[in-house]
Amino acid sequence: MIDETTSETLDLSNIQGNILKGYRSDLQYVRHIALEVKDRAAARSFLARSVAGKDSGVPAITRATLWADPGPEICFNIGITFEGMRALGLPSAMLESFPTEFVEGMAKRSLKIGDFGESAAVNWAAPFDGSNRLHIIATVYAKDRARLGRVQADIARAFNVLGERDGWARSDVNVLGPAYANDGSPDNRVFFGYADSITQPRFKVPQYPDPPTTQPIAPYGTVLLGYETPLEGVRFRVPMNDELGKDGTFNSFRILAQDVQAFEAYLDEAAGLLMQLEKDQHRQVLPADGEKDIPHVKDRFGAIREFVAAQICGRWRNGTPVDKWPYAPLPNPTPEQLHDFDYDGDSPCPAGAHIRRASPRDGQIVQRAANYARQLVRRGMPYGPDFDPAKPDKAERGLLGSFIGASIGAQFEAVMCDWINLGLHNPDITRFNDPMIGANATETSVFDLRLHDGKNCRLRGFPRFVRTRGGAYAFLPSINAIEYLAKLEG
Amino acid sequence: MADDGGWLGRFVDRLPDQGWFKFLSTHVVVPFWWWREPKPKLPGGPRMAVQPGENLQRMMNLIMPLKDKTPVGRATIAMALGQNLDTLYSGLDNVGTIHFARFIIVENNLCMISTYDGDFSSYVRDFIVSIGSVFDAILVHIEGGDAVVPTKEHVEAFVDWVHDRDLFQWPDFATDLFALQDEAMGVPADRPPHEIASLSRAAVLQMKANPNLSLGSGFRSYPGFSAAQIRSKFGEGW
Repeated sequence: MIDETTSETLDLSNIQGNILKGYRSDLQYVRHIALEVKDRAAARSFLARSVAGKDSGVPAITRATLWADPGPEICFNIGITFEGMRALGLPSAMLESFPTEFVEGMAKRSLKIGDFGESAAVNWAAPFDGSNRLHIIATVYAKDRARLGRVQADIARAFNVLGERDGWARSDVNVLGPAYANDGSPDNRVFFGYADSITQPRFKVPQYPDPPTTQPIAPYGTVLLGYETPLEGVRFRVPMNDELGKDGTFNSFRILAQDVQAFEAYLDEAAGLLMQLEKDQHRQVLPADGEKDIPHVKDRFGAIREFVAAQICGRWRNGTPVDKWPYAPLPNPTPEQLHDFDYDGDSPCPAGAHIRRASPRDGQIVQRAANYARQLVRRGMPYGPDFDPAKPDKAERGLLGSFIGASIGAQFEAVMCDWINLGLHNPDITRFNDPMIGANATETSVFDLRLHDGKNCRLRGFPRFVRTRGGAYAFLPSINAIEYLAKLEG
Repeated sequence: MADDGGWLGRFVDRLPDQGWFKFLSTHVVVPFWWWREPKPKLPGGPRMAVQPGENLQRMMNLIMPLKDKTPVGRATIAMALGQNLDTLYSGLDNVGTIHFARFIIVENNLCMISTYDGDFSSYVRDFIVSIGSVFDAILVHIEGGDAVVPTKEHVEAFVDWVHDRDLFQWPDFATDLFALQDEAMGVPADRPPHEIASLSRAAVLQMKANPNLSLGSGFRSYPGFSAAQIRSKFGEGW
């Protein structure tokens, strides 16, 4: 059990702001800028001025302290790769204190996290292509795109800019087409059409409002170094030293291209096959007249299509969890309805559904100590042009994702390897990949739909819908650590 | 037409059985090549595979040299294990991904031989959570063990420690050795292409770098199924 009575306290002014809270609801544009340290003195000076936050020509590092209204015009945070730490001149004894997976970098660990074939690191696109020249990932959030460019110009005076990736928030009409217009949904949709970033680890931060969930409170060590971790009695190594490494964390940054056209085409194919079932079986997929309860569909075919989409994800497209509402989405789910479910007992949510694989909550799993131990903070923003299913195209679009946790190995890699791409936590799905983001191949892909009578109906033959286009492991240092890096000499 | 290689071919083929040649290769040729192109020690344990089924039933051959290499030292480690055996086995059961595990003593090494599913570091980490304290009691009798005790406070170091002492698994396809050596040396794979004739030399030099090793990934009498799948199939729960 996770101890809800921890006596640990946080110094929010020492923690970068994008770790414990997201910015997307206030600032809807993001730019991730890949930087190379060419001039150590210039880079260190930039970091010092960024921490001080008093220089109009250098963006101030955003901290975790609460904002007074109306909030900042921009937010700015940095992540540093292992090569970046070396480039900034971190002493070798401190370099050696970082965990192996961070030292080796994401590209070298690519097979373990399912990046092979088209997703292999050799095929990644610059600037996040595993290059040793990638030293810092600077992330800027703003209310408008023009401001992103001005901040980048400031940054470029101190660093060599290798390139950048832009993302911006979308509503349902941007990813599902005009049929969804005027739905009033918030700008939290991602490609494939789902509401995103609903589930995050629940931290008890006295200064923050409590999230609308009864999920167990996660210890700070889930996402910050130097605190109790979710693994009983286990402490993750604090890099640099206990003082400087504390309040830092690691970010697994990913550029994930989503083949929306293929995903929608597969929903058509699957719905077509299910429509051919005998009448009795047919009603186990969707009760008679069940299509009336599913919005934005014209007929039974469209409703079954949405049923398949919901089962693949574990949520209906508006976020309603299949675990509690397997037959149809709620019209306007409340935050509590979105968050509170546990896969307890005989859950109607398929064991292989994406969100159940990535976070099994309190459901039975094979690795008995791991239920809540691999939770990640997720910050994502869609990139690429909007998608209209009436005019499908092959333009590259997807997600710029940050998967943040105190241990890359114990959280991000463990989830990607054992759960997403091996299904090790449940024998019914072991050896099969996640249907939505897994490293699937048409010849071998398998997903079991859960029908209303509790039986399974097996789908096959779907391709890999998500390809990795780049990424990097980055350390998100505390404010103290950034100040230390800024003061290094030599 | 049969090709017997001529007199030179027959001469070369017989060389490995010649005493003078064995002496020459052991004391001159191998040291020379080792000086000229040394090979790094290759990392232990199984390598990740693209096919999910290949990432199940994986082998760990953990070799831990005893501090006390006398009969008393061997008896001490046997006693430390024996006193904790029930806890150890119930802890291994709790990890959930272990098929088999056994401890043996060979030439003053305590060896843990196990078959497990999935990612190596997750296996070791779950192992620490379940039976870290038992392993701590064993590690104090092992060379280099003090540096990673208590394991719960040295998770990353213990994962690396085990990885370093897990036997290198010789590739099932002999020519894959070139790629592993290239990767370990940080050079582009097969650039320039390796001569197939140099494979035996590469193998001998690698065996100098990794004196103890596992020959291939081993035999399985059935395809890769997880421990939980097998237990589930036999109605043993999971």
